[in-house]
Amino acid sequence: MSIYKTAIDKPISTTLIFVAVIVIGLFCLAKLPIDNFPEMEPPYISVMTSYAGANASEIETNVTKILENGLNSVDGLKEITSSSKDYMSLVTLEFEWGSNMDEAVNDIRSAIDMVYDNLPDGVSRPLIFKFNTSSFPIIQYAITADESYSGLKKILEDNVTNVLNRVDGIGNLSLSGAPERYVYIDLDPQQLEAYNLSVEAVGQAISGNNLNLASGSVKMGEEQYQMRVQSEYIESSEMEDIVVATTSLGKQVFVRDIAEVRDTIKDVALDERVNGREGVRLIIMKQSGANTVQVCRDVNKEMEKIKKTLPPDIKIQTIYDSSENILNAINGLSESVFYALLFVVLVVLFFLGRWRATIIISLTIPISLIVAFIYLKMADSSLNIISLCSLSIAIGMVVDDAIVVLENITKHIDRGSNPHEAAIYATNEVWVSVIATTLVIVAVFVPMTMLPGMAGVMFKELGWIVTIVCCTSTAAAITLIPMLCSKLLKAKPVSVDAQGHLIEGSSKAGWYDRTVVRFLDKLDEKYAQLLRWCLSHKLATMSFFVGMLVITLIPVVLGAIGTDFMAQQDNGRMSVTVELQRGTRIEKTMATARELEGLFMEACPEIELISSSAGSNDDASISALFNTTNNNKISMTIRCPKKFERERTIWEMAESIRGVLNQRSDVVSYTVSTNAGMGGGGASNTIDFEIYGYDFDQTNILADEFKRKFQEIPGARDVEIDREKDRSELQIIFDKEKLARHGLSTSVAAMYIRNRVTGYTAGYLKEDGEEYDIRVRLQEKYRDNMNDIMDMSLMDAYGKTVKVKELADVEEYWAPPEIKRKSRQRYVTIKVTPEGVSMGEMATAMQVVADKTDIPLGVHYDFGGTYEDQQETFSDMLLLLVMILMLVYIVMASQFEDFKNPLIIMTSAIFALPGVIVGLLITNTTLDMIGGLGFVLLVGIAVKNGIVLVDYINLMRERGYKMTEAIALSGASRLRPVLMTAMTTILGMVPMAIASSEGSEMWRPMGIVIIGGLTVSTFITLIVVPLLYGVINRGDEQAKLEKRRKSFIFMQLADPSADSNAEKTSKTETV
Amino acid sequence: MKSVFIVFNQANTERVEFMLDELGIRGFTFFEQIQGRGTNDGDPRRGTHTWPEMNSAVLTVVPDEKVDELLSAIRKLDHRNLEVGVKAFVWNIEQVV
Repeated sequence: MSIYKTAIDKPISTTLIFVAVIVIGLFCLAKLPIDNFPEMEPPYISVMTSYAGANASEIETNVTKILENGLNSVDGLKEITSSSKDYMSLVTLEFEWGSNMDEAVNDIRSAIDMVYDNLPDGVSRPLIFKFNTSSFPIIQYAITADESYSGLKKILEDNVTNVLNRVDGIGNLSLSGAPERYVYIDLDPQQLEAYNLSVEAVGQAISGNNLNLASGSVKMGEEQYQMRVQSEYIESSEMEDIVVATTSLGKQVFVRDIAEVRDTIKDVALDERVNGREGVRLIIMKQSGANTVQVCRDVNKEMEKIKKTLPPDIKIQTIYDSSENILNAINGLSESVFYALLFVVLVVLFFLGRWRATIIISLTIPISLIVAFIYLKMADSSLNIISLCSLSIAIGMVVDDAIVVLENITKHIDRGSNPHEAAIYATNEVWVSVIATTLVIVAVFVPMTMLPGMAGVMFKELGWIVTIVCCTSTAAAITLIPMLCSKLLKAKPVSVDAQGHLIEGSSKAGWYDRTVVRFLDKLDEKYAQLLRWCLSHKLATMSFFVGMLVITLIPVVLGAIGTDFMAQQDNGRMSVTVELQRGTRIEKTMATARELEGLFMEACPEIELISSSAGSNDDASISALFNTTNNNKISMTIRCPKKFERERTIWEMAESIRGVLNQRSDVVSYTVSTNAGMGGGGASNTIDFEIYGYDFDQTNILADEFKRKFQEIPGARDVEIDREKDRSELQIIFDKEKLARHGLSTSVAAMYIRNRVTGYTAGYLKEDGEEYDIRVRLQEKYRDNMNDIMDMSLMDAYGKTVKVKELADVEEYWAPPEIKRKSRQRYVTIKVTPEGVSMGEMATAMQVVADKTDIPLGVHYDFGGTYEDQQETFSDMLLLLVMILMLVYIVMASQFEDFKNPLIIMTSAIFALPGVIVGLLITNTTLDMIGGLGFVLLVGIAVKNGIVLVDYINLMRERGYKMTEAIALSGASRLRPVLMTAMTTILGMVPMAIASSEGSEMWRPMGIVIIGGLTVSTFITLIVVPLLYGVINRGDEQAKLEKRRKSFIFMQLADPSADSNAEKTSKTETV
Repeated sequence: MKSVFIVFNQANTERVEFMLDELGIRGFTFFEQIQGRGTNDGDPRRGTHTWPEMNSAVLTVVPDEKVDELLSAIRKLDHRNLEVGVKAFVWNIEQVV
């Protein structure tokens, strides 16, 4: 029992099975999270090790090198990079995309165990951590306040973070730049000296009076009481009245006599401003696996409620909301999918001209697409740009199989069969070739799931979705479609007149028959004529097409078509980092930041919000690893209106901001990046020029030289050397002999100095369950220059004061703050962002510069960054293309049982190139990863068209037609199916190519490549394939006939019964 | 007694069965999925890639007076849709067990 017969005989079961599939699919769709990209685990693992007291170069030799050597043997390692800073070593291991990170962590752990004993004593246990996309913030708010600013942290913690923490899926909430309350006790050193007191003595006096202690229990009569000493400070003013010491004259010295108690907010180290006003940033991260869009929606809803409860001067603005981009992109794409669906239905209606047939075919589209949702749910994926793009691609293909089946069924019905039998026998005739064409699609898309690297992670989903959707459509085409045809299609209305003659009803031509059918018939006829002409002028036609191919290849050779990794998106956000002179104090940096904000607003009045931060909050935590701000660095996030609401593009605005920064003499270096794509895999576009070499001076000089030369290349922007300039440090060098004479050691002396400058922590002031630091230190004016530090008094072991200058010298010296290594070699990177030129062109220009430059011995260079990724991806894609071509060839050759004909069809795929090139040139688009993918798809679709044609020519020849006649006939007969397949795919891509929604920059190249390529290749397939077929198979017919004649020799024998003499001779012949 | 051999495109199966029922012909032998080719015209029915269609056949033994009736019905069927195709051949029956 064949599957289609079962389906036709059991219409109810068939319908219900598909209904069940739809129900499950819709259920999965409702449960699918929405995201930007498929979730991917970045294959990076870092190992952080701290070693107190060591500077960068000591860390490099004693920690980093040993770890690198040990970790180098870990399985699947792609590249090892490291950075050695003061006190800290960070080794980052990069693996191949898609490797098992848990296994890698285990390997790393055992590799570290092996080398741990070789590390110096005092090194902390190396800490291993994985990066994850969910560790990027999903929302950032800017919160500003006027009167409530000093208490902002407490207000926000009580009213905002605590409430938001209850939202499902929230991972981490942090406030950046929130003012912290501190109690400072600023001492006057002269007074201290007068009373012979030290900073430590004051600190101990203050902390000694800040105690709550249990003092045991007391029994009184029948009762028993717990006794407590309760003497913690309730208010900071209490500290002024603490007695520090009693002088020899019996006078008591109070804190207020020698110090000023300030209950205030912490000294600025990190300055957060929103549009120049004091503010904080609220950074929200999600739990891994949570639905970004859902979490953002909940948070925003909760935030609206919270706003009402806050004091009126507190303003909350969104800096960044990742759900906005995702929703915009997804909505834009969904729209494209719906338009594609509509176009496909219209094309089918145009060609078939029947409502019922069109409805039957259109039904396969949603059914096939819905199965994709089931796959997505089972693969734990999401509705994202890639999965929706795949659906868009698939829409044009899913109807093909259904059309073939339906066409054959209608042919049978038109001949007079009844729909039920027509459905069975017509499906029987075509189901094998329907499956064969689907195999071609599978041969194109399944290899895509095997693509390695980051592109592989992205396109695995695409490959599976298109494969699954096409297979489903085939399944529907041989079960559901025949079933529906048997039920819905009507046999031709006939009646019998009085004389018993058959009368075919409604034979009068309708509007459709008069216009469209006549037009199509004429088209068939003209096309057959054209084919006949071409077949008689083979040379002229062929040279025309080859000439056209060569002409369109010229721009490629000349390099007019650029290449990129991924198109940049206009998200309406910019991030700007500005570096000022090293050692600039935070107050100066802040002032510069305010000036810059003003200038930016002037240059770009479109700007909605500038959130800037300067300085760094804490330099000992893991977060400091990712934090690039420093005292002399400003980082800004600039939010602009959506791209439809402003006249200039984000890139033009970035240019004018660069213009502002170029004029500032105090700006040492800056970057303006337009892809503030936090958590979105946003495409950065830098070419990293890496110079490897051990000698710092040598590589620094070389890097400076290259930087200068690269800046001269037209289109080079943000040329930046990533190695930080040597940092100035003040070193206090104690004379150990003198220290010993005073009964001091270096560690004690160092601690004393720290207490005077940074402060002695004298316990905490507790209020409402919160603890606030009490810091005792010298007043600022006594510790802000070199002389003051030399003049500081320390208390020696004998209770005498001694000046720092009696014990130590202070020297200023320079040291590299960070040593970066890659592949176990020191290196320095020059980053170049191409603007207006493509990445490939920029890299070529840089290579030319490098070739002309003398490279000293022991130094070498390489390209890295996004450019390296691009190169890798393109070579992977090339490999993929080869693999696809081979598989497609195999499928075709086995379908035709012929080695030559598949080659004809594959040649026709080459003729898609002119269309692609012209398409890219006209729209001025660069070929990027997605566009390259489009080209790969194009091969599949162009080939499918070719198959339809060659298959039919073969058929016609086997049915006994002469070559030219066979070709012309099949051309006329197959013109409609070929045009129909091509038009459904082309029109399905149109919404993608002309989309202007946010994020559409990404998939537009794919639409352009497919539309351009397919339009041209369809017409060329229609001419070149028959032509080549005619040329290659020319001598075939005669040869076949001859061969047959030779193998069946018995026909040449004489009739044995007629001539008995001949019998003798014939015995020697083989029969 | 005559035997009538009816060869037809399998798309006509139901019609042939209906015809036999209408004429009250009970006995027949049914050959499914057979191949053939017309003498003068009509597409070959070979079940191959080139000629994908197939025939079926019915061999029925009817009394002599029924033959004309049957052949006339078959002609009507053939006339109804020529392209689908049906043919009939009549033999004498010598003996029956």
